Amino acid sequence: MSAAPEMNLKILIADDSPTNRKQLETVVRHLGHVPILACDGQEAVDKFRDESPDLVFMDVMMPGMDGMTAVKHIRAMQGSKWSPIVFFSALDRMQDMVRGLEEGGDDYVVKPASLQLLRAKINGYARLLSLQKMNYQYTEELENWRDEARTQVRLGAHVMARLTDADGLRDSLVRYFNIPTDAFSGDLLCARRAPDEVLHVMLADAAGHGLSAALAALPITQIFYSMTAKGFPIASIAEELNRRLKAILPADLFVAATLAAVDVRSQTVEVWNGGNPDALFMNTAGEITMRWPSRHPPLGILPEAVFSGLTETIGFHEPGDLVMCSDGLVEAEDPADVWFGLEGVARVFAQTPHTEGQRFVALRTAVLDHMAERPNRDDLSCMMVSLPVERRQAVRFSAKSAAVYQGPVSDWRLELSYGETELRYLDVVPHVLGFISQVQILKAHQGALFLILTELFNNALDHGLLGLDSSIKSSENGFELFLQERAQRLAQLQDGRIELSFLLHQDGNQSLLDLSVTDTGPGFDFQGTLAAELQEDNDHRPYGRGLRLLRNLCAELRYYGMGNKVWARYVLSEACVAADSALPESAPA
Amino acid sequence: MQISSKFEGSHATLSLAGRFDFHSHRDFRNAYEKVLEEVRAKEVEVNFSDVDYLDSSALGMLLLLKEKSDAAGKSVVLSSPRGAVRQVLDIANFGKLFKIVE
Repeated sequence: MSAAPEMNLKILIADDSPTNRKQLETVVRHLGHVPILACDGQEAVDKFRDESPDLVFMDVMMPGMDGMTAVKHIRAMQGSKWSPIVFFSALDRMQDMVRGLEEGGDDYVVKPASLQLLRAKINGYARLLSLQKMNYQYTEELENWRDEARTQVRLGAHVMARLTDADGLRDSLVRYFNIPTDAFSGDLLCARRAPDEVLHVMLADAAGHGLSAALAALPITQIFYSMTAKGFPIASIAEELNRRLKAILPADLFVAATLAAVDVRSQTVEVWNGGNPDALFMNTAGEITMRWPSRHPPLGILPEAVFSGLTETIGFHEPGDLVMCSDGLVEAEDPADVWFGLEGVARVFAQTPHTEGQRFVALRTAVLDHMAERPNRDDLSCMMVSLPVERRQAVRFSAKSAAVYQGPVSDWRLELSYGETELRYLDVVPHVLGFISQVQILKAHQGALFLILTELFNNALDHGLLGLDSSIKSSENGFELFLQERAQRLAQLQDGRIELSFLLHQDGNQSLLDLSVTDTGPGFDFQGTLAAELQEDNDHRPYGRGLRLLRNLCAELRYYGMGNKVWARYVLSEACVAADSALPESAPA
Repeated sequence: MQISSKFEGSHATLSLAGRFDFHSHRDFRNAYEKVLEEVRAKEVEVNFSDVDYLDSSALGMLLLLKEKSDAAGKSVVLSSPRGAVRQVLDIANFGKLFKIVE
C-alpha cells in the first residue's frame, strides 16, 4: 500500500446543508485535498462535468434534483475514468443504503459521521485511486508498446518479404511453401543459378521465431546470392555464412541451414546440412533413395577454425525430387500431439503420382490437414527441387542485358599462376571470374566463361596434377569416392602449379578471348582421348561430357606439349559495327 | 518447465522437467546463474531425463550456458536426453559442442 504515491484529490461535496458541507470541506482540506462544493443535485452534475473530480460525496435528499438522480446523470456521462461516489445521508434504513448502491453509488455513509471515519474513508479512497492511476499508466504504456511492436512487425515483414522474394525462387525446378507462426517467418528460402547454371538452393531456419529469428536470418540472403552469382561452391558459401553469423549473432542465436547444389547437366546433387532434418532424394515411385542427415552444428555456432564445409554429393541416374524442410514441418502436431515427421513426407510421396507439381500440393495439404487448423508452434517450410534426367543437355544461359558494351576492344591481358598451397584452399575459378568479369565485354559472357574455365581448370587440377581417373565416377557411390580421393591427393600435393592466361583482342570485326591453362603435371595421351571422345556416344556416362561441352562453346580448342597445356578461343562478338549501323536512324524512345 | 538444482562438492546438477522451450528462458537463466556463482562447482550437469521436448530457443540457452561456463572455468555436461530430446540434440550435432552422457 505504501508503494502508491501521495495524491491530491479533487473531491466534490454535494449537500444542501452548509454545516454538513463545512464539516466535509474541513476534513478534505486538512488532508491536503481540494474540495469542490455543490448545493443541490443539478449543481453537482454541472460541477462534475466541469471539474472532473476524483471522488464524490453525495447527499441524498436535496431540493430540486436529489442525490440519486444526480448520480444517475453522473454515471451516464462518465468516460473511462472511474470516480467513486459515496452517498452521505441521514437516511439510515437498510433499503435506503441498498438503493443508493444500486443507483450507482460505491459506498454509503450514514450521517452524522465522526471526523475519524470520514478521514479514514478519504484516505482509503486516496490509496485506491492512486493504485488505479498507476494501473492506468501501465495500461497506457502497454498500449504504446503494442502499437510500437506492431509498427516494427510491419516493417520487419516488409523488409523480409523484399529480401526473400528473389527471381531465383521462380526457377522452373523449384517449388516451396513457408507457413510462419508470426507475421513473418524465421525460415528463409533462397534459390539462384550459378554462372554455369548449376542451381543453388538454401533452406535456413533461425532459432526461435518472429522478429529475432528473422533478424538472424537476414544477413545470409545477401551472402548466398552474391557468392552464388560469382560461382563459389556451396562449401565455401556455408563457410562464409558461418563466419559472418558467428561474428554478428549473440551466443544463443544460430541458423540451421541446408544448402544444395543441383547440377542437372552432370546429374549430381551436393548437400551441406547443418541442423536441419534430413534432406531427401525421392524417386518417381515415391521411395526415399538418398538421405542427407545433418552432419554439422547449425551456422553461427562454431569458430572458423573448426567449422567444416564438408558436403555430400551423389550422382543421380533416375529422375526425382530433392526435398528439404525445416523442423517445423517434422514437428507439426495433430490434435493428439503426434508429429507429422519425415515419415509423413514419405507417405504423401508414396501415395501421390509423380506428375507436375502434384506431390508438392499434396504435401502442403497433408501438413495442413494434419494440424487440423491448430496454429503451428514453429515456422514451417519446405522446398522441393525437381531433378530431371535429360538426355540432351543444351547449355542455356540467361539473357544478356542489352546495354552491355559489345566491342570493338583493345588488347587486354591477364596472367595468373597458382602454386600447391593456394590450390588447396582457394576457389580458383570464382576467384579468376571475379577479375575477368570486371571487363565490360566479358561480363555478359560470364556464364559461358565460367563453364569453360571450370572445365579447363578442373582438367588441369584433377587429371594433370592429381592424376585422378574419371572412370571412378561411374562405380557405386562413384562421386563420393572421386571427391574423397581428390581431397586426399590435393592435401598431399607437392610442387604443383597451374598457370592461366587470358588475352582479349580484336580480329577484324570479331572480339576474341583466348584462354590458356598450363599445369606442371606429366600430361596425358590427349590424341587418344580426343579420338575416343569423337567416336563414342558417351551420354550415359557421368563423366567425359566436359570435352564436348568445351568444343561446343569454343571456336577452337588445342592441346600442346604432353597435353598439359590447353588453348581455347572464345568469340565474344561478331560484326558489331555492322549491327550498329543497321539500327533505324530514329529509334523510338 | 520445473528446474531443481543440487550441489555435491564440485558437481552441480540442474534437473529439468517438462517442456524446455522459449517460455523457460527466465527460469533457466535464474537457475544457471546461481550455479555459476557457486565457486566450488566446477562441472555443471544439465539433466534431461524428465524433459519431453526441446526447441531451438532451448538449444540457444544451452549455448549461452556453455559460453558463460567456459568464461567461469566450468564445464557443461548434458545427461540422459530421451526420445525427441535426443533427436533434437543429434540433428543440431550438439555432440560436437557438449559432452553428452546417458
